[in-house]
Amino acid sequence: MSNLIAARVQMGNSLAFHIIFVVLAMGMPLMLCIAEGLALWRKDPVWMLLARRWSKAVALIFIIGAVSGTVISFELGLLWPTYINYTGAIVGPLFAIEGIFFFVEAIFVGIYLYGWDRLSPRVHWICSFPIWISGIFAALIIVTVNSWMNTPAGFEVQNGKLTGINSFQAIFNAAQPYEVVHMILASFVGIGFGVATVYAIAILRGKRDEYHRKAMLLGLTLGLVSIPLQMIAGDAIARSLETQQPVKLASMEAVYNTSKDVPLHLMGIPNVPQQSWYTNGLVIPDGLSLLVGFSPNTTVEGLNAVPANDRPSDPLIVIIHIAFDLMVLFGTFMMLVAFVFWIIFFVRRGKIPEYGWLLWGIILCGPMAFIAVECGWVVTEEGRQPWVIYNFLRTSDAVTTAPYLNFTFGVFTITYILMSIILIVLLLRLARQPLPKMEWATVTAVNPAEPSTV
Amino acid sequence: MTIADVLLSILWLALIIYTVTGGADFGGGMLELFAFGESGPRQSALIDESIDPVWESNHVWLIFLLVVFFTAFPPAFAAINVVLFIPLMLAVIGIVLRGSAFAFKMHGIIRRSQNVRILSRIFSVASAMTPFFLALAAASIASGHVQIQNTSQIVTNIGSDWFTPFTVTIGAMALTLCVTIAAIYMTVEATAKGDTELVEAFRRRGLIAVALTAALGLLGLILAPSEAAFLWNGLLDKAIPVVIVTMLVGVAAAAALWFRRYRWARVLIVAEAAFLLLSWGVSQYPYIIPPDVTAVNASSPQETQVFLLVGIIIALIIVVPSLWFLFYVFKLKKVTDVGAVAVKNPAE
Repeated sequence: MSNLIAARVQMGNSLAFHIIFVVLAMGMPLMLCIAEGLALWRKDPVWMLLARRWSKAVALIFIIGAVSGTVISFELGLLWPTYINYTGAIVGPLFAIEGIFFFVEAIFVGIYLYGWDRLSPRVHWICSFPIWISGIFAALIIVTVNSWMNTPAGFEVQNGKLTGINSFQAIFNAAQPYEVVHMILASFVGIGFGVATVYAIAILRGKRDEYHRKAMLLGLTLGLVSIPLQMIAGDAIARSLETQQPVKLASMEAVYNTSKDVPLHLMGIPNVPQQSWYTNGLVIPDGLSLLVGFSPNTTVEGLNAVPANDRPSDPLIVIIHIAFDLMVLFGTFMMLVAFVFWIIFFVRRGKIPEYGWLLWGIILCGPMAFIAVECGWVVTEEGRQPWVIYNFLRTSDAVTTAPYLNFTFGVFTITYILMSIILIVLLLRLARQPLPKMEWATVTAVNPAEPSTV
Repeated sequence: MTIADVLLSILWLALIIYTVTGGADFGGGMLELFAFGESGPRQSALIDESIDPVWESNHVWLIFLLVVFFTAFPPAFAAINVVLFIPLMLAVIGIVLRGSAFAFKMHGIIRRSQNVRILSRIFSVASAMTPFFLALAAASIASGHVQIQNTSQIVTNIGSDWFTPFTVTIGAMALTLCVTIAAIYMTVEATAKGDTELVEAFRRRGLIAVALTAALGLLGLILAPSEAAFLWNGLLDKAIPVVIVTMLVGVAAAAALWFRRYRWARVLIVAEAAFLLLSWGVSQYPYIIPPDVTAVNASSPQETQVFLLVGIIIALIIVVPSLWFLFYVFKLKKVTDVGAVAVKNPAE
């Protein structure tokens, strides 16, 4: 394997792994905050037990997220020294600011998870706010760095030296607002449907009690609020690409030549070397033109507008198109399930619908939400290739010259696979612990900081 | 004093804080390897309990170090990452293994005691890996073996530049220093628990570790003139007073431990680590990678450095009170409401 491929796959693995924990670590503290708040307000042992059970899972998830994030901060330099040389000089302070938010997050996670018996209930609950607020800000800033890689701004290069650094321009680059909103909503969609899935499975298996219903309802509520907003944000981001990152847009829909009346190929598979399609999928005439400019006459720039070595390679374009379609498909499915659920919920005057088919729909939504996050990330990263900083630094020029990348790639891949397996097993064990009696005194004696025993 | 100097000082300060917080966590992990005897299981349990609430924030200092370094001095950072690719990757592998092993051990439901033991061993061994390779990398930079004339053609190699008797000595010294720090902290924690047997166990381990640290430090000084000439010359020129203070503070820390003045020992070992790193910094200043890269010629553009500095100042205003609260809740505040803890849920 070449250095470039080994480094890309290692970085890709690390990010694909970490992004799941980003979603969880941004969303779960919000769920904790809501559940504990409801528990204290209503003196409700069910919500209290949910908060305490979830906080056990968060302890595991947060540590793995912190570890995989530390790995990435090292890999930025170790695998991509030239990239970090430029990025550090221009948007480096953003990483430092992200570090601050992560600091606050880590501090209050420590206080929250281990402070159940050391703080008054109200102070303890208040300590959950800094966790999810700083989590959101941390994600906001990291996504800002990524958006800067997509639409770099705020610097000039003269005689190989960086000058005219304008941090303000760099931060508020063209893609920044779109990407930031899209990622934060993705996290809420992911956590909302993720939680709903877990409890829908339990309800389907006959655990039709208040504990599981309340948990599923909270998850679905978050999902329902976020998913329509997410579809709107996704639509806006796709439209912004036409001016900001035309090559990415052309790759997403495999548009070969610049033209009007460009169709959408839902689930089609492009045959890039032949500049055609293996299967057309479901063709929506003028679809992309309409999407981009609300008119069939809208011109969409094609892949051939740039030289072949300035756009993603042929196999990448296939991956980008499929990833994009999957993301859109899953988003639409989630929206449908959420609407159907809430319509039935209100028609039946607040009785939770527990039809098997609907629960199955909800169960599918959780994995779909996370796959959609991965797909979106594939689209934005692969769609920028061969550039790591768009139109400025090539990925192949950014990679390290150090040897043994194949070896470290192997070690990290095996480690991450093992970590994932162990983590899933341990989370399942936590979920299967028997429920205590739903009384305030019993429930508040559950101490999430205690190492769990059988 | 330029902004670059200020940022360099902040980096050094962060390094010191990381050593006395994160270093203690590494030391704690290693101490569990030596948690034998009748009180062994209790030693491990107390170490785990002490590390658990604070280790994530302790390790944010490492991330802070990385990001401030690559923002303030990007070319130096890039060069170090290429030349010291192997030791730094090994340090990262240590971070992954120890973090995940600790998380699984502490927060997962592990049914077999054998599996708990395996996770504990991984945690302990990986706790040694990371500080050893980080210190080894630092020592090879300080010794002046990492030479960067042409930043576009840097390559790393197995051994020769970074795997020398001097760097290995410093790597080992980092391990014993971490263990010393951890053992001294644990004497205070065990005193708070009122477990005299544990206090004595940690005191003995601390005394052995501090003696080993001193021995390795001397070995480092003996090797320095031939192995790390650059560092040695800088030390003779500028850092002799700091080195003398480092030695005196070290002796005082050992004495405090010997005479069972544990709170004093804790303060003194923190000072010891600070002076040790300070003597390295003073010897090497103004070089980041001697003998080629200085703080000035590796600086990022002025605008970026100013922005970074402002960011750090705002950060400290937010982070310092939060950190104080964390340590107040877990290390200072007494648990008064013991009743709430004592009532165990029978279903658990």
